[in-house]
Amino acid sequence: MRNTQAALGGILSSRRWINILGEQGFVVIFVLWLLFLTFTTRSFATLDNVSTVLRQAAIIAIVAIGEHFIVLLGTMDVSLPSILTVGGVFTGALMVNAHVPALPAVLCVLALGGLLGLANGAIVTRLKINPIITTLGMMYILSGIAFVYTKGRTIYGDALAPMDFLARGKLLGISAPILIMFVLYVIFHLVLRYTRFGARVFAAGNNEKASWLAGIKTSRVKQNVFMLAGVLAAFAGFMQVARQGSASASMGDDFLFPVLTAVVLGGTSLSGGKGKIFNTLIASIFLMTIKNGMILLDLSIYIQKIIQGAILILALSLDRLRTAKGAS
Amino acid sequence: MSAEPHVRFQAVSKSYTGVQALKDVTFDIARGELHAIVGENGAGKSTLIKLLAGAVMPDSGTILVKGTPFFPRSPKDSLRAGISTIYQVFNLLPDQSVARNIFLGKEPAAGGVWLAERQMMEKTSAMLATLDASHVSPRAAVRSLRVGEQQIVEIAKALLNNAELLVMDEPTSTLNRAEVDALFRNIRMLRQKGVTILYISHHLDEVFELADSVTVMRDGRHIRTSPVSGYTRESMIFDMIGREVPADLSAAAPVEEKVLLEARGLCAGTLLKDVSFSIRAGEILAVAGLSGSGKTELAKALFGEIPVNAGSILLKGRQFHPSPSGAIERGMIYLPEDRKNDGLLSEQSIKRNIVLSILPRISRKLGILNLRQEKRVAEKHVQALSIKTAGTGMPVDSLSGGNQQKVALARCLAADPEVLILAEPTQGIDIGVKFELYQFIMDQSRKGRAILLVSSEIAEIVRLSHRVMVMREGRIAAILDRAQMSQERILAVALGVETQS
Repeated sequence: MRNTQAALGGILSSRRWINILGEQGFVVIFVLWLLFLTFTTRSFATLDNVSTVLRQAAIIAIVAIGEHFIVLLGTMDVSLPSILTVGGVFTGALMVNAHVPALPAVLCVLALGGLLGLANGAIVTRLKINPIITTLGMMYILSGIAFVYTKGRTIYGDALAPMDFLARGKLLGISAPILIMFVLYVIFHLVLRYTRFGARVFAAGNNEKASWLAGIKTSRVKQNVFMLAGVLAAFAGFMQVARQGSASASMGDDFLFPVLTAVVLGGTSLSGGKGKIFNTLIASIFLMTIKNGMILLDLSIYIQKIIQGAILILALSLDRLRTAKGAS
Repeated sequence: MSAEPHVRFQAVSKSYTGVQALKDVTFDIARGELHAIVGENGAGKSTLIKLLAGAVMPDSGTILVKGTPFFPRSPKDSLRAGISTIYQVFNLLPDQSVARNIFLGKEPAAGGVWLAERQMMEKTSAMLATLDASHVSPRAAVRSLRVGEQQIVEIAKALLNNAELLVMDEPTSTLNRAEVDALFRNIRMLRQKGVTILYISHHLDEVFELADSVTVMRDGRHIRTSPVSGYTRESMIFDMIGREVPADLSAAAPVEEKVLLEARGLCAGTLLKDVSFSIRAGEILAVAGLSGSGKTELAKALFGEIPVNAGSILLKGRQFHPSPSGAIERGMIYLPEDRKNDGLLSEQSIKRNIVLSILPRISRKLGILNLRQEKRVAEKHVQALSIKTAGTGMPVDSLSGGNQQKVALARCLAADPEVLILAEPTQGIDIGVKFELYQFIMDQSRKGRAILLVSSEIAEIVRLSHRVMVMREGRIAAILDRAQMSQERILAVALGVETQS
């Protein structure tokens, strides 16, 4: 009797649970949530629904790659959703209004994204303005431009039809957006882990001054990261147009929270220099699953907001508890 | 003094991820004595402190305090057992007043609610007076105090705790001479009151001046505990580093003709004015001066950390516009003074820190890193500098201070530079490693590299350099060669008592 009690005590010891929960923070909540949905709703654990969730997650996850790089540098970019919007509206403008074919259009959109990211980077590195403030300003400017151009109307037309493949097509039996998402994650994982650029991002994020004194051109690294994030966000805008078959000035509005949350939930340190990109991917999918499940459970959009916010804080608290225990 | 020791370490062992910090350590600290602990970095001194402070627990063995087993689970337990610890970096709230800091967590309250401000101030004044610091106002913010005065606040905190054992970690490392004297008076006063003092220091002079007994540690082992009178300076160093002191290192390498680095009329930042000098291949040129003399700024200006306003720099005979990346490309490297903030990436591995300045050299096409080469380069330098680590993949944070400094130096050497700017390379490093670093600096000069050695330690300068450039108020006060060089002379020029051009 006493032995079993001791054993139980060992299993239930709070420190141990905090460790497990903290280390795998949101993963544990994720699994519990998946189990809960599987048993309470009929439609959740169907192949169809899983594919839907992943396709919805894809675009957020792609923007989150750029944000992941930015957070690795110890900062934040709040303008990425508005770059997505501008990328989407630009796609519509090119293809519907100017009849540009899809391939040159996507190249132009990527270039525009890169340019906008570069603008962010230049303001941050040359004028030394705080990145969050810079991108906050950029967010307003870009969203304003998108509204001025579209006059608040939605752009759509038959010219967008060839893009349908990007949203609903399949390659090797996998839905195109899901495949694109995975491929991009693998590529950028390799970039971070095995290239000089990746090494410089981690170095500059860990200690900018020491990296600079060691001969790393930290301003250039920063510029490149902002540019990369811009390109990816604009590409996500292109994908989003394919998905909804139209472009509008409000298409990026709901992206800021999930993108930042995905990076933070994924455990990337907000002070920079530490983080795993696949955790950002898992977190993006997790967030979409939460949303999907709440829709299946028929919760109102406002309740959904409350729950999403709570999840963010809960996951971070577990992480904090773990590091606090670990330190002592 | 009773026969029972105040603290007894019995076969205490402690290891951190792969590194054995303490091995089977057994010794006593007698009640009321001033007990010094000496040893190199990584000898286990800081682990001993952490055990007493309740910051870590031993893996095996026991600690007895006044005869009872001592198992602190937190710093609070340790305070309750009458043990107060003053770390090198003070544990004070800089924006709070002196009195608030001393009474932190023990604020007297009238009726349990209202802070008894006046009582607190009066008691603080009384305590400051006993510590010979009545000039310090209890209301002053700690931030506004000098380092020595902040230390007195720490001591007062310990007094309020009724500390019976006061642990002091390198208490003089940031003090000037007058502050050191004041500290010593206070330490003697505390000992007279019967407080046991555990004193950790790099400075053997202090140990001989103050201590009753001394414990020498090496590589996590207890070597010997004895009354100070049982030691000579030489025998103590021998026990600390496990071998004889290296013979005179000043058998300097010959200097070559070729000038590698030259400055002409350099003005930089707000301080440097009209600085001109040149260094030849194989030469060690030291830069001496008091703090604020501009010697640190000179290093920073040469590497582009502060802007150059006028004058020119020639690197290997060609005009050079300072920037870290440009300097490294052209064979000049810089070891910053502040290794923690400027020198190392704390969260990265040892190997990544070592190759940081040569990332292009260890990459293949398309900027893909050759991780095998990274490891090879790192291991080569870890071996050459005998860095003590469980592996080059470990975070640099896992190393002791001396070994971290070696990693910072390894990064510089990995770049295979022709000109090395070393700012305070041995600051905060203890004797054994210091001699190793001296040996390395000498070796670099023998390889024909030019070295600019910025140092606050005059003994080090006299030992190592071919010439010394003494700075005062942002200008060069004198350049002395070996024949003219002596500690007294350098100091006199730095102070402005003697000048010479």
